[in-house]
Amino acid sequence: MSFEKNILLPVFYFFSTYSFCQKISIDSLKTTNLKEIILTATRTPRELSSIPLPATLINKKQIKDLGAVRLDEILIEQTGINIVSDESGFEGLQMQGISSDYILILIDGVPLIGRRAGNFDLSRMAIGNIKQIEIVKGPSSSLFGSEALGGVINIITDEPKTKKLNGNLSYRFGSFNQQDINTDIKQNLGKFKFNFFLNRLSSDGYQVESETDPRIFYPFRNYTLHGKISNDFSNKLTGLLSFRFYDNEQLSELVFNEEDFEGETQENDMNIHLKLDQRVSKNFDIDYELYFTSYNAEELIQSVLSENILNDNFFDQKLLRPEIRGNLKLKSKSNFSGGIGYQYEELSRTFFDDNINFASQYFFIQGDFYLADKMNLIVGSRFDNHSEYKSQLSPKLAFYYKANKSMAIKGSVGFGFKSPAFRQLYFNFTNSSVGYTVLGYNVALDKLDELIDQNQIQDVVISRNELVSSLDAESSIGYNLGISIDEPKWKLDLNFFRNDIKNLIDTRIIARKKNGQNVFSYVNFDEIFTTGLELNFSQKITENFNITAGYQLLYAFDKVKMQQINNGEIYARETISNKTIELSNKDYFGLVNRSRHLGNLKFFYSFTKSKLKVNLRFIYRSKYAEFDTNGNGLVDSYDTSFINGYITTNISAIKDLSKKFDFQLGISNNLIDYTDANTPKIPGALGFLKLTYKT
Amino acid sequence: MKTINKILNISFTILLLSFISCSNEEEEEQEMVVLEPLKSEQVANFAAPQTGGMGQPIGGEFSKFDFVTGEKSTSETDWDIAFRGTTICINGGTSTGTADEPVRNGNAGAVIVAGTFDSVTTAQGLSFSQDAEGSFAIPTGSDNGWYNYNPQTFTITPVPGKVLVFRTRDGRYAKVEILSYYLDQDSSNTRGGRYYTFNYVFNPNQGETSF
Repeated sequence: MSFEKNILLPVFYFFSTYSFCQKISIDSLKTTNLKEIILTATRTPRELSSIPLPATLINKKQIKDLGAVRLDEILIEQTGINIVSDESGFEGLQMQGISSDYILILIDGVPLIGRRAGNFDLSRMAIGNIKQIEIVKGPSSSLFGSEALGGVINIITDEPKTKKLNGNLSYRFGSFNQQDINTDIKQNLGKFKFNFFLNRLSSDGYQVESETDPRIFYPFRNYTLHGKISNDFSNKLTGLLSFRFYDNEQLSELVFNEEDFEGETQENDMNIHLKLDQRVSKNFDIDYELYFTSYNAEELIQSVLSENILNDNFFDQKLLRPEIRGNLKLKSKSNFSGGIGYQYEELSRTFFDDNINFASQYFFIQGDFYLADKMNLIVGSRFDNHSEYKSQLSPKLAFYYKANKSMAIKGSVGFGFKSPAFRQLYFNFTNSSVGYTVLGYNVALDKLDELIDQNQIQDVVISRNELVSSLDAESSIGYNLGISIDEPKWKLDLNFFRNDIKNLIDTRIIARKKNGQNVFSYVNFDEIFTTGLELNFSQKITENFNITAGYQLLYAFDKVKMQQINNGEIYARETISNKTIELSNKDYFGLVNRSRHLGNLKFFYSFTKSKLKVNLRFIYRSKYAEFDTNGNGLVDSYDTSFINGYITTNISAIKDLSKKFDFQLGISNNLIDYTDANTPKIPGALGFLKLTYKT
Repeated sequence: MKTINKILNISFTILLLSFISCSNEEEEEQEMVVLEPLKSEQVANFAAPQTGGMGQPIGGEFSKFDFVTGEKSTSETDWDIAFRGTTICINGGTSTGTADEPVRNGNAGAVIVAGTFDSVTTAQGLSFSQDAEGSFAIPTGSDNGWYNYNPQTFTITPVPGKVLVFRTRDGRYAKVEILSYYLDQDSSNTRGGRYYTFNYVFNPNQGETSF
């Protein structure tokens, strides 16, 4: 691709010009240690450094330095976070070895919906209006309820700060004709504040030019609009209205049975968030919140020449949530908070017979106590009552102890859960080409009877009683224990984690059809664990030179499968001889899509005199497997779907041209042009140029 | 068809065993029977075509196999098991009702045993099932019987550790391990399906259950 070759030249020119004329001025960057405030860990503003939970905060400056376009590009560079493709090719986040289904994604504290088979597509999220990204690892259902089983990602958007009307305009151009335009305008008039943000992103997509390489990314264009207005009605009452719209259109072309098809996918989501903040007294305030969000997707794939339609799917989800929260400040930084809420969810989609709705009621309480100046204890719990499954109680306990000036110890134990997904309860799908059927748990008995009446069923392989009681929520207990050392020149965080997850919902065969295929439904059966450690280190070499490094070690296994291996019930075939052997535990590789090692190493250098900042980032992911290939239902060393470990390299440079202009260029994803047919995230080196104007 | 003969001559061992077992029984007069040796072979690329599939009605003649000859059989009566696509039927039981199935005139039975091929040393004590109305003795469908279907790679993989033990049409025993469903055992070519490669051990002595 000629564009990529061309883009390397200005990069080297850029560096060679400035690196030879560098003069480091010592007193230029006076680091005022601004206290970083995190909202997600306790749902109250808290200083990040004293949080007893494993939490990360990515600020606006860090986001800008990367030169990224979407949220997934930022998160994949964070320690212990991975973006993986599931068996259907949908991409999602993985954190502490826990997949996207179990990680709650929030924007300004309220949930985002619209998942594909459980995966939240992070590339939906524009980043131009993000103030900071907050990541809390470990079960957080004590505050957030369902989905927060593995952790929470909260996107905090910009607040207007200055009285003067100000804004930004930026244009970024990259490989495959990717064009990203961001603009925002904001003002803080004291009592009245507003900000508006608009983003347009488009790309011509790409197709890797080889017969054996199936990777293809279709052209798309999308718009994001986000507006926030707030007003102080009195010094005791503030109102906030936030609204966000996203609209995406993607075109595709494919050949099926030697016929040309064209496809069009429309996707849009909307969030409306209304909040009243009432300061009842100096120490007590109440938030009244009303939130509505919808997500809609439609896909139509039809033949270019004939009337044939390959796919005609729709997905329409809505969520409405009123919530009231109170926060009481106690003596010496301690506080007591709680909330009560109601959530209504609705989904209609292809392969559902009816429009389905869920309702749940919940309340939570939390005490955040400073026992001494050096010791913090958080105790909390949440109760969720749901229309479709057993009610859930999710307690949490966390402590923080500052051992000396620079060292602190922190630990937490928490419960997490995830309610059964709509599809796990209401799916009614028959694959027309192969002939198998998948039924949601709640409709399985009725639909099975229909199939029996239609004389399609050979035999039912489970007892019907097994489909009578309701499906349980998936649940976990997570443990985190960490130490952090904060010295003037360097910083180290080490955290050990373990998550035990039970009642995982998976498919099983409930009946055999006369066509030789199966009828599947969902059941609670798997028990898995993920355990390991996470290490983050940063060192200030000079005032202008920083190095950060991160590492995660992960073991993720299915307990049931381990037991079966111990019982000698699992077999594999030797690669060359094709001889069957009994599998031993050392051959069990673990859960799919989990890499034992994840690492990153990043260098940040700023040439103060020439107002140039340069960074170089290496991201490593070790070997992982995509699926079982030898039919024994687990990934072992005899399987052939392993993807070897790889490193991606990213580089970017920002130069301030004037107070109002800056110019950024770089190569994202991949400097050394690593590609593998099985890693769809990596199409090869992608170059970009970006120009920003700010007032 | 290419067959690899690996005849194991273990008749001596069997003779020895029968001496040991008989020596405990005092009343019965020993009758020295020279047993035929076990036949241990590999059958490669046994074609099992079918018509239809992919949503269309499945049909076509089953490809029959006779353990006595170790070859494909075209006889109406001299066959033990038969293959069509992923379906295996046996010469025992009644009609299942599937299209184009052969007439059963023997007393074959089948059972799936978990283990390595070598670990299955006898058919004694196993409970054999037969084809019946609406069901095959070797169940059909992914993970029900002998194979697993991988929807990511669209491949049929014989589940490792599933040993198919058969009683033949006339009461002899055989154990079978399916190794591959693809031509020349190349599962990367999914268009080359419906070619079985399997190992079997056949005890040609009527009523003898050891392998």
